[in-house]
Amino acid sequence: MIDFMRNMLAMIDLELRRLRHDRTELYTRAVQPVLWIAIYGPIMSGVKAIPTGGIPYTDYITPGVLIQSTTFVSIFFGLIMVWERESGILKKLFVTPASPYSIVIGRSMSSGVRAIFQVLIIVPVALLIGVRFIPNTAYFMFALLIIFFSSGGFASISILVASLMKTRERFMGIGQAITFPLFFASNALYPVKMMPPILQYFALFNPMSYVVDAVRGLIVSGDLTNLSIDILAIAVFDAIMFVSASIGFKRIIE
Amino acid sequence: MEFAIDVRDLTKVFEGKTRALDGVNLKIESGRIFALLGPNGAGKTTLIRILTTQIQPTSGEAHVSGLDVVKDGVEIRKLIGYIPQEMSVWTDISGYENLLIYAKIYGIASQERGKIINDALKDMGIIEFKDNLVKTYSGGMIRRLEIACAMLIKPQILFLDEPTIGLDPSVRKAVWEKLVSFKREYGSTVFFNTHYMDEADLYSDEIAIINRGKIVTMGTAEELKHHVGGEVIRFTVEVNEISEDFLEKVRKLNVVNEAVADDFEVDISVEDYEEALPQVLEVFRIEHVSVKKVSLTKPSLDDVFVKYAGTRLESTERIREVRQVRDRIRR
Repeated sequence: MIDFMRNMLAMIDLELRRLRHDRTELYTRAVQPVLWIAIYGPIMSGVKAIPTGGIPYTDYITPGVLIQSTTFVSIFFGLIMVWERESGILKKLFVTPASPYSIVIGRSMSSGVRAIFQVLIIVPVALLIGVRFIPNTAYFMFALLIIFFSSGGFASISILVASLMKTRERFMGIGQAITFPLFFASNALYPVKMMPPILQYFALFNPMSYVVDAVRGLIVSGDLTNLSIDILAIAVFDAIMFVSASIGFKRIIE
Repeated sequence: MEFAIDVRDLTKVFEGKTRALDGVNLKIESGRIFALLGPNGAGKTTLIRILTTQIQPTSGEAHVSGLDVVKDGVEIRKLIGYIPQEMSVWTDISGYENLLIYAKIYGIASQERGKIINDALKDMGIIEFKDNLVKTYSGGMIRRLEIACAMLIKPQILFLDEPTIGLDPSVRKAVWEKLVSFKREYGSTVFFNTHYMDEADLYSDEIAIINRGKIVTMGTAEELKHHVGGEVIRFTVEVNEISEDFLEKVRKLNVVNEAVADDFEVDISVEDYEEALPQVLEVFRIEHVSVKKVSLTKPSLDDVFVKYAGTRLESTERIREVRQVRDRIRR
């Protein structure tokens, strides 16, 4: 167990060092969510057709946009794994005493590190635009923790997909094909109740809905009624994804 | 006697059809540098991947330092170093940081890490670049960084899959010097795959040739060359037509295996040229065939490879040239 933690921390350390050397990706990836919050949000607020429970529309979508952008970061983590498979890095990691599971989960978790930095770039921009967050540091930290752990689950999806798509080119399209359906079939931009029934059903199994709901409650609306269910759903999602990704990872190696 | 590597009847069948290894038997004493030679697709990489516990064999047994590759994977991985054929370092962090991550994975105590890493970098002659991003390194520097990484745990056995592929000859030499000094310092066994004949010849204590999933021969470079047998003495003569009668007389000598003629050349295959040359020259003298030039070809590892693998690894130009000579001798 100690070994397991140590390997996970080593993988997270690797990610922090990467970020220290090159942060461009963090900035370029922040452009899209900033546009959602700065342009799409204010324009759609004028329409006033979406029931947000009394919260300004831009504020309502901010958590969703944050999660969408961190999910995007996580999903593209699989791309790094594909690259590491094409090079000899994964083979070499596999020939260390580290268990493959600690490597997969560690790599997934290190996507959480990137996600947190992403959030820390977007939140000040949102504040400038006038989004009002709940001024509670503990809630905010808890939201970050939820984002961190859910990013691990999303990164595991991408590692699983990467184990099926063995080339980078094939993976590129898949990344978008996963993120956008998750985004649109969630409560990120509108309440689930507004969706056609079949999408509502899909949203029920969409992990992003639970993450958005939890983070929205913690940082914008203050409505924490579903928080325990959200956390349970995220935990189940993470557990399932970690196991499947670990199995998939073995296939990447073969 | 404990063997560093002991493989018995090992087979590996991929997806139920491709038979990559077909009953491999191999014993390697510890502390040796062992080269595995083979054409593409012969099973070299598959064997190394089974021995490094990345994939499991279909049947048969393999032991590394006395440990079973199927059952004792974790234990084996604590003892071995491995450098895959492809580049295996992160290029977007520094050389030092690469080793630091691995030092953590290997559980090297934090107070020792710095010294062990710096020593490894120093030994490989890349200490002055330790804080540069790996993407600024040359191919040879990256290879040395990978060797430094393998040195961190002072492995009992170091596995190298095509260690110098794609490197310049001078860099190849430098990499090998480092590997040899590594082996000398730690007494590690070194197991490497290669298709560079000269490397196997120069640096290995023992060579095995693998073809179609089977080890076809094994021994020191000298032994293998000896097995191929036959040195070829080529006489450049002044007459165009060499009579069959003359060749027959040469062939009758006990020391001669075969004699063939072509234009102004006579190729004579013998076991030992020092013994054969005087007797052969005597026949030339008696038959009044005057010799302009004598040259000698000893079998190379290349010839060994051709004999056992049935194919050649060197460039096509050389293939044609050597094959013509061989064909002539065989005729």
